[in-house]
Amino acid sequence: MFELKPMLSALWRNKVSAMLIALQIALTLAIVSNAVTIIQERQEKIARPTGIDVENLIAVTFMPVPADYDMAGAVAADLDLMRSMPGVVDASVTNQAPISGSGSASGYFFEPNQEVGDITANYYQTDPHFINTLGLKLTAGRNFREDEMDILGPHQNYNADVAIITQQFADQAFPGESALGKYLYGGRDDHPTQIIGIVERHIGAWPGWSLAGNVVFYPVMAEGNHKRYLVRTEPGQRDEIFKQLEDKLAERDPQRVIHLETTENHMKETYSSDNLMIKVLTLVVSLLTFIVALGIVGLTIFWINQRAKQIGIRRALGASRRNISRYFLLENSIIAITGLVLGGTAAMLINGLIASNFSQPLLSLPMLITCALVLLLVSLLAALVPALRAANISPAMATRSV
Amino acid sequence: MLKMHNIRKSYRTDTIETHALRDFSLEVNEGEFVSVTGPSGSGKTTFLNIAGLLETPTGGEYLLDGQEVGNLSDRERSRMRNEKIGFIFQGFNLIPDLNLFDNIDVPLRYRGFNGKERRRRIERALEQVGLSARAKHLPAQLSGGQQQRVAIARALAGEPRFLLADEPTGNLDSLMARQVMELLEFINEWGTTIVMVTHDPDLARRAQRNIQIVDGQVSDLRQSIAQQEIATA
Ligand SMILES: Nc1ncnc2c1ncn2[C@@H]1O[C@H](COP(=O)(O)OP(=O)(O)OP(=O)(O)O)[C@@H](O)[C@H]1O
Ligand SMILES: [Mg+2]
Repeated sequence: MFELKPMLSALWRNKVSAMLIALQIALTLAIVSNAVTIIQERQEKIARPTGIDVENLIAVTFMPVPADYDMAGAVAADLDLMRSMPGVVDASVTNQAPISGSGSASGYFFEPNQEVGDITANYYQTDPHFINTLGLKLTAGRNFREDEMDILGPHQNYNADVAIITQQFADQAFPGESALGKYLYGGRDDHPTQIIGIVERHIGAWPGWSLAGNVVFYPVMAEGNHKRYLVRTEPGQRDEIFKQLEDKLAERDPQRVIHLETTENHMKETYSSDNLMIKVLTLVVSLLTFIVALGIVGLTIFWINQRAKQIGIRRALGASRRNISRYFLLENSIIAITGLVLGGTAAMLINGLIASNFSQPLLSLPMLITCALVLLLVSLLAALVPALRAANISPAMATRSV
Repeated sequence: MLKMHNIRKSYRTDTIETHALRDFSLEVNEGEFVSVTGPSGSGKTTFLNIAGLLETPTGGEYLLDGQEVGNLSDRERSRMRNEKIGFIFQGFNLIPDLNLFDNIDVPLRYRGFNGKERRRRIERALEQVGLSARAKHLPAQLSGGQQQRVAIARALAGEPRFLLADEPTGNLDSLMARQVMELLEFINEWGTTIVMVTHDPDLARRAQRNIQIVDGQVSDLRQSIAQQEIATA
């Protein structure tokens, strides 16, 4: 290629500063490619489908004040009240709020009277309205019937007759076959629970859990010391209903403490550390890229000033402006590519370390190449302005300066 | 070969305007060896820079090889410098990062010659100046006289029609200066037109013609040489 060999030997005589900037580019690539990989993984995590109508859901929690509270009666009255409110699509009683970070899980067994769980899932204790309330999609089997609904007193053991599970859990429990009609056991008992329906997906209460998406639903209301409802509103009505709900529930029964939260907020809180990580890493990536660009601008200007006379000589010997700009861009590319090759290797090594020690995602080759190309572009852009300015150095520099 | 008519060149800084050349007219014929003398600051380098297309005049006409060069683009001027003109500078102006071979190679690459042709020309030019054995040396490893010979080789390798030298012997002792002068005379015998600025009246006299620049203008030739001879006698 044009001037490559003499350019390399000239670079070799200035190897210290060239190497420094190449190392800076290398370090930047190593850090940026790993950071972008983590950012991308977190973004994908946040963007995973939840299976539910996140935007229009409200979770209500209440704690009654009196000790001898008629929980079953209160729940029935509240649900009637809420379902009759205009703008409310449906409401259900539940033991946990989706994507809230708090909920219950249980081990499941394929045989009766086992000790150690075969498989684990997050579970909801809810009612036949739950599919409509959450906005789930029933893909096989049927919903619960009202007559299958159990009411459980305090300290009473629950043995479910029927359950609905997510497709993901079905695939894990019964790989390669249909889970519909099959039985699961709760452990230490011989009461079979039949799977009567399958919903397409639901991420459950903890999106960060490694088994997130394994979810089981039961038709039961346990009379604990507090209760939860889920309310789904018509699109765009959530905030209005949110305001009304608090008043209406308090009005119906003032003897309790009521707390409301939108599922959207739950989700925001649940993902807050991921969002923070994304913000911090994005800042790191931008800063590093900016600093490396500054370094390249600085070095290119320095070299051009240092070689002003040489540029004049080259111009006198027949170099056009374009030849001069191209010289510096090409030189910059050689340094950048050296740095990127070094950095690419370092990136793989660093990634190997953090992937095995901190369970971070693996850096993919296409990602590394993309980051390298972006950095190459950044370095060319950084060198462009000084290189264009170098072309303005007068050929008279050859005779005028000493 | 070179024809200047009423060339003007002024430099403007914040405070003052310097008229380096005023109504400067000169003709140099093909194959001539012209020496240029004159006091410091009289405009010799300015004339050479304009002649060699390193600077553009503020006004006037300049025909190089029959072509009006006033309206040429940067690319055309660069190309003309590359193909028709060879430069030799007082400070040698070799590129310090490149060895002799690569230094001579610089203008040939801009010319677009292929590798074989460049090698042939570089080897021949180095031979002409007697430095074939030093091709891989850096300029800093050579004496001043040797460096100037490399610079001449670099100018020769492109086989220019027109060689411009600005005090080529200014940094050399008299023995080295004579060697360089002999080399230039030899080149001139082979047909290259040479214009050489010098402060050395002995060297100036060896040229076929001497012009003197005083205050940005060509002063009367024969008379000025006669005056100088009286002055030096
Ligand atoms: N870039 C410039 N800006 C301002 N003035 C300049 C510039 N270059 C040259 N001059 C002025 O133009 C005049 C002619 O300068 P030039 O270099 O042509 O003189 P010279 O005859 O070559 O002198 P010397 O023998 O010392 O080399 C001088 O007064 C000089 O100061
Ligand atoms: Mg001068």
